Amino acid sequence: MGTALEIKDLFVEVDKKEILKGLSLNIEHGELAAIMGPNGAGKSTLASVLAGKEGYNVTKGSIKFLGKDLLKMSTEDRAAAGVFLAFQYPVEIPGVATSTFVRTALNAQKRNRGEAELDAMEFLKLAREKAKELKMSEEFFQRAVNVGFSGGEKKRAEVFQMSMLDPTLAILDETDSGLDIDALKIVAEGVNRLRDDKLSGIVITHYQRLLDYLQPDTIHILAEGRIIKTGDKSLALLLEEKGYQGIVEAN
Amino acid sequence: MKNLQHRYFEDYNKNKPLLPGMDVSWLKDLREEAICQFKKDGFPDRSVEEWNNYSYKALTDNYFEPLSDNKVKINLKSLEEKDSHCTIRVIFFNGKIVNIEYNHLPEGVEVNTLTYFFKNNPDFLKNKISTANRYSEERLSNIIDSRPQSIVAFNTAFHHEGAVIYIKKNVKVPGYIELLHLGEYNKNIMQHMRSVVYLEEGSNCEVLENIVNDKASDLVFTSNVTDIHVCDDASLSFHRFIKGKSNQIHINNVHSLIHKNSNFFSTSIINSLGQVRAENRINLLGENASTKINMLMLGSKNTVLEGLTRVQHSKKNTRSDQKARIVLGQNGKASFQGKIRVNQNSDGTLANMSSKSLLLSDKARVNSKPELEILADDVRCSHGVTVGNLSEEQLFYLRSRGIPEVEARKLLVNAFGNTILEDLNINFADRAKKIMLGYYNDTI
Repeated sequence: MGTALEIKDLFVEVDKKEILKGLSLNIEHGELAAIMGPNGAGKSTLASVLAGKEGYNVTKGSIKFLGKDLLKMSTEDRAAAGVFLAFQYPVEIPGVATSTFVRTALNAQKRNRGEAELDAMEFLKLAREKAKELKMSEEFFQRAVNVGFSGGEKKRAEVFQMSMLDPTLAILDETDSGLDIDALKIVAEGVNRLRDDKLSGIVITHYQRLLDYLQPDTIHILAEGRIIKTGDKSLALLLEEKGYQGIVEAN
Repeated sequence: MKNLQHRYFEDYNKNKPLLPGMDVSWLKDLREEAICQFKKDGFPDRSVEEWNNYSYKALTDNYFEPLSDNKVKINLKSLEEKDSHCTIRVIFFNGKIVNIEYNHLPEGVEVNTLTYFFKNNPDFLKNKISTANRYSEERLSNIIDSRPQSIVAFNTAFHHEGAVIYIKKNVKVPGYIELLHLGEYNKNIMQHMRSVVYLEEGSNCEVLENIVNDKASDLVFTSNVTDIHVCDDASLSFHRFIKGKSNQIHINNVHSLIHKNSNFFSTSIINSLGQVRAENRINLLGENASTKINMLMLGSKNTVLEGLTRVQHSKKNTRSDQKARIVLGQNGKASFQGKIRVNQNSDGTLANMSSKSLLLSDKARVNSKPELEILADDVRCSHGVTVGNLSEEQLFYLRSRGIPEVEARKLLVNAFGNTILEDLNINFADRAKKIMLGYYNDTI
């Protein structure tokens, strides 16, 4: 084991409003951590800060990823180092085929790491394999990125990208929102298939159901900009029973 | 400006013995009428509605030498080889014919220079080269305003070379015909080219007018006017690729008469740092005639690019589809004026127009003006205009997957222009892609 991600006393402002207020969190190699919390607690802000989105101003604190200062790295360098954010609302990009997008991304990461790029045939072989695992038809390779995709297809496409890019830190930002039960199962199975002792994960969710499928190692409650409680599966059950308010008050 | 008009009029009179085809009476009359029209109207200023977006000060503040001998010589060795899909290539350098290349001339296809036809078959061109006013619009008051077409009149008076493409009945030309206009002019020179494309019944042909003035950036003024006739049941693609440097003014007009059951497809891809205006005036004269007009304008630095279309639906069940895409960086300026005119009794018309612009800098400017004039009852028309910049959300999404910012921007600009490129068939698609690539390698 060993620490993959180390967030220390993180303060973040968005539009001069303080959202994260002293958040600390450690994630080990191979650990899957669930982050739960009420609306507006700063869950998506945490995801955006980790991925390097502009407009999020870190005023204090540090984030170390695999021993490196994550905050000093550009968005694309973080991706090449193994950070992957599955978007809550995947972005539509008309005019760019999904296969072109994923291949460009994969090869850009490989170039960044000084590895050999995949040629068209090697890429197609890999993509076919991964799509099959996610029960996706190959027809979607040619479709423009997320354009005209249903909610379930968009989330499945995110997991497809994740499996192609093979990250070391996956952040799933409400990947379960807008999914029906069958789609949720497929997405969860897809994520589970990727789990190994090298992949660390952060699952941001509101609901117990996704956690039933994913079985996270740790559960963290994020409220008022920091982690107020950490525990195992039983914490999620306690949450179901008492609600966020009950736990916030107890702490 | 009055002085300038007078000076060009004098120039015309002084030089007219040197103009080709002056022994052909109809052509002489045409030229005389045109120069008189120009003397009256001058270059259009911003009081002319179709010309009111940006000024053409360089035209009115400078004098351009007509018919002067260029000292620059062509370096034939530097020329790219004829494209493998290209059947016939006509090469002009600084307005003069250099070569007509072909491996095998298909039967029923005549391709030659305008001066060749003036000499050997002037009757063929009669009524095929027409006065500027033939394509002027009749206003609702039945008055014709000749001013918007005064550069066409200027071209009609001064043109001295061009290409003629004549496709005989039922002939389907394999591959495409390229009219390559290379320019490397001395300062303050003007050059006017006139071409004719005539397709007889049932014929089929693709043409690329490729205008490349990318060597020198001295102030020059060039115009190309093409008169197109597509007879019944025929199909013509006439594409324009226009590449230029700063200080170059290029005005390009395509005038097309499209007859029954015929189809006309035109794509204009303009990548210039100078001032370019590309017009497309199309009259759908026969029932079931259809046209597709696509434009991609790529500009940066101090470029001024203008696209203008006028599609007249003159008969029943005619269709038109217009798509303009504009990408501008730095101080680039552009405009798109698209008009659909549906004449009385042209019921069953189907006409669409869309114009989208992508501004890559805060200083870039675009004017987009769709116009519909509908005088018939049973008509379906649509139009849409958008202007925007690259989406931050899309950029972040791409970067979060490891795509570096510059590459992400290229990918998005490419996707924007692809709407135009993907309509082109394999003969042109690769060449068009190269133009796009060149543009964003320079701009982004």
